[in-house]
Amino acid sequence: MDLFALAERVLGAARAAGADEVAIGVGRSSEASLMRRNHQIEQATQAESLTLALTLLVDDRYSSHSTSDLRPDALSRFVERAIAATRVLEPEPERRQPDLALCGRGVDEATLDQYDPASTTITGSERRELTEQIEAAVDALPDRSRVKSATIHLGDSFGESVRLMSNGFSGSHTWSGFGLGVEMTLEEPGGRRPEAMSWASAIHRADLPPLPWFATEAWRKAERRIGSGPAPSGRYTMILEANAAPRILSVLGGPLSGSELHQGRSCLAGRLDQVIGSSQFTLLDEPFIPRGLGSRPYDGEGLRAAPMPVVAGGVLKNYYISTYYGRKLGMAPTSGSRSNWVVPPGTRDLEALIAGVDRGILVAGFLGGNSNGLSGDFSFGVHGQLIEGGKIVGRVSEMNVSGNITDIFQHFVEAGSDVWRYSGVRTPSLVFADVNFSGS
Amino acid sequence: MVAAFDAPPVRITAVSQVPTRYVAALGGVMSYFSSFGVSPELIRGALGVALSRGADDADLYFEHLETNSVSLSDNKVNRASTHVDLGVGVRVRVGDQVGYAYSEDLSAAAIQRAAAMAAEIAAFGKASRPVEEPGAARRLADRYPERVPWDTVPMETRVQMVRAWERRSFELDPRIRKVEVSLIDAEKRILIARPDGRLIEDHLPMTRAHIVCTAEQAGRRETGSYNLASRQGIDFYSPDRVERLCQSAVEGTAILFEAGKAPNGEMTVVLGAGSSGILLHEAIGHGLEADFNRKGVSIYADRLGQRIAPPGVTVVDDGTLPYARGTINNDDEGNPTERTVLIEDGILRSYLHDEISARHYGVNPTGSGRRESFRHVVLPRMRATYMERGGYSAEEVIGSVKRGIYCKTFSNGQVQIGAGDFAFYVKQGFLIEDGKLTQPIKDVNLIGNGPAVLAAVEMVADDLQIDEGGWTCGKDGQSVPVSQGMPTVKVGKLSVGGQG
Repeated sequence: MDLFALAERVLGAARAAGADEVAIGVGRSSEASLMRRNHQIEQATQAESLTLALTLLVDDRYSSHSTSDLRPDALSRFVERAIAATRVLEPEPERRQPDLALCGRGVDEATLDQYDPASTTITGSERRELTEQIEAAVDALPDRSRVKSATIHLGDSFGESVRLMSNGFSGSHTWSGFGLGVEMTLEEPGGRRPEAMSWASAIHRADLPPLPWFATEAWRKAERRIGSGPAPSGRYTMILEANAAPRILSVLGGPLSGSELHQGRSCLAGRLDQVIGSSQFTLLDEPFIPRGLGSRPYDGEGLRAAPMPVVAGGVLKNYYISTYYGRKLGMAPTSGSRSNWVVPPGTRDLEALIAGVDRGILVAGFLGGNSNGLSGDFSFGVHGQLIEGGKIVGRVSEMNVSGNITDIFQHFVEAGSDVWRYSGVRTPSLVFADVNFSGS
Repeated sequence: MVAAFDAPPVRITAVSQVPTRYVAALGGVMSYFSSFGVSPELIRGALGVALSRGADDADLYFEHLETNSVSLSDNKVNRASTHVDLGVGVRVRVGDQVGYAYSEDLSAAAIQRAAAMAAEIAAFGKASRPVEEPGAARRLADRYPERVPWDTVPMETRVQMVRAWERRSFELDPRIRKVEVSLIDAEKRILIARPDGRLIEDHLPMTRAHIVCTAEQAGRRETGSYNLASRQGIDFYSPDRVERLCQSAVEGTAILFEAGKAPNGEMTVVLGAGSSGILLHEAIGHGLEADFNRKGVSIYADRLGQRIAPPGVTVVDDGTLPYARGTINNDDEGNPTERTVLIEDGILRSYLHDEISARHYGVNPTGSGRRESFRHVVLPRMRATYMERGGYSAEEVIGSVKRGIYCKTFSNGQVQIGAGDFAFYVKQGFLIEDGKLTQPIKDVNLIGNGPAVLAAVEMVADDLQIDEGGWTCGKDGQSVPVSQGMPTVKVGKLSVGGQG
């Protein structure tokens, strides 16, 4: 099925039924996954999917809809009911689509390199072989007998999507994705069975780490949880391992959003061009990273993508403002959603960062927790390792780290050189001084 | 992992009218799905393909979901959403191995293509069992009859409801500056077909209401929310319940002006009746899902029949509570659901089973095989998890604590199955000083180890409540609605992650 033709047909039907503005998104995808454990495939899934999303403005009344029932009669009923549901609302002209001049591609598709042709040719037997090779690496671990369970995960997908808007914008893109991982459980005396997972995902299959890495990384992470427990409560230097760091950065997401600013629920309201972090702290929105997991030529409402500093040298430079909230707040739209977040790397690797800490906690992962975007307070469970005199001296778990969004980035000291590439948040290990931990 | 309705983004919903509710028998199949062209021949043909390579078993899971939502913000009912999902999942089982595929196209050819993909898990080359003629579609129970179904409710009525709730919330406290309201309803129809001729169908309604208030006092702002959910039609929203919804949202916001920072470190924790069931969900429930135990990755593996909690602690996972969010008439493999006693007077009695784990352990399934949608495989999941009442009064429990905290409302939790470490986030609570609730506190993560916390349960009160909130449980990338409940309970020691 031609996705543009489908989108044009639905757009035409919605206009004919009374919609003043229409935006259509159509996505088609193909995906497969494999789980392998105990030398056999435990689960294999395959699917193809085609769904349609529709947003409407009828007499300045706004609604959004989606369906996977694309039978012609059902689609006609879907559009009619969507328009009927919209008419009973109250008007809100701020919902009108963005000016066409703001829409378009910020970069050509080839530069973003979001599609790997290998995604369409991978076969079932190749998937099996990949998981077999990773399992062989698990079996080759020196302490294999201590592994209670190891499950190999593989997933791959590809697809195309189109966006068509009544303001004249249209766009399409093709994409692919690969993911591999090992979920490993060890056993320790007393019955605890610490687990960990190595996982990496990439747009191009060739960008994934070498297969043995998935086995050794899962082992490294799980083994470091053996014998862990809470350290004494107190203030410590905190080093966040690179692939754990996005959790702390995520507390900024709500308070930076136009919706929370407009509703008066952001601790960062009125802080534009003010210092919210140490001069060492910079956070960039970079939509044009080739093969980046969050890269895009335009955002979800068709706004042309562009690189944007979020925090530069500790100073808050931009919020995430959609067209709708831009009109509500009297601000120029940036985008309602982030692309890739990037924390620029420093020069020292993780080992050197640890060596420079007198009393600290190396956080390897989080457990639960949440934040209050209005007060700025956050509290997260953590596990990791205890550092004294520049050396790892113990393993910690059942501890919480707490603080305030408006304060924690003032304590930022240094970024490491070890950027984690397999995420839409590209950050190295991060060091924060004088952070509150609670434990025993 | 579990999260309150307001914590994660929730996929939108919407409703549209469904012209026919139940279609008369067609060729032996009496099913809602007859109107989509689903016939006995189609079912037999698809199951035949699914079993064609020698699998042990297979099933088809047809689903049609229609959801609607209306939202109010900035004093306007300014957004509506509708969502339609239609498709079928094909599962093929060989021993403990599962092949799975789905199709959004319900034509015989498309379903057979999906069945052929799922069948690839088997490689024996020829069919090992026949496919029986499907019998009449049956409903196994009727735990959530709708007096006024959502697909008969005009959109205008929903608009009037959220408008009235907004007005009432503003009336209750002059400090309220902003109110946001959303009302979501869903009607889900499923049909499960098995090779032995079983056809099980169900119609699962769901509704959730959510109010977020932002209040201002002396230049300071606070925001709070309340939500409730049920498998009911519009009659769920009785005047009393609506009043409680609005009052809880407003009072839960206003009290934050008095709240201070939570303390820090290990201390006695009293869990209030109701939504404190989140502790059971994380500390015990996930660890007793049998897939984790079959694989030996749960801290509770190999502990059936052993004492894992003090005498007096009985924990249940129940799929049969009338109208509860986690209730089901049958599980998603087509088996009856039940009330499963997990821990009886401190002794571990049962895991939660789907068919695969039940075969592994040589027991009957507990009716706990659930999936998010036709796009997902079945997993053992919780339904409504709660602790049975004890012998103390809530006042006695609180009165026994010299210094500690009392937890009242929660937003989310998480567990590590093997280590047993779990956490849950308290949105609001109180300090306990000399046996009395004193200073309100807010926003603090609590962390502990499941078996250690169970062992530290010191008192259980007689005030069991099943929470009415819109809890959603996440596991292996799948979300399912759940319920949870708790009497007031005292835990001797938990780590409190505050700043005070």
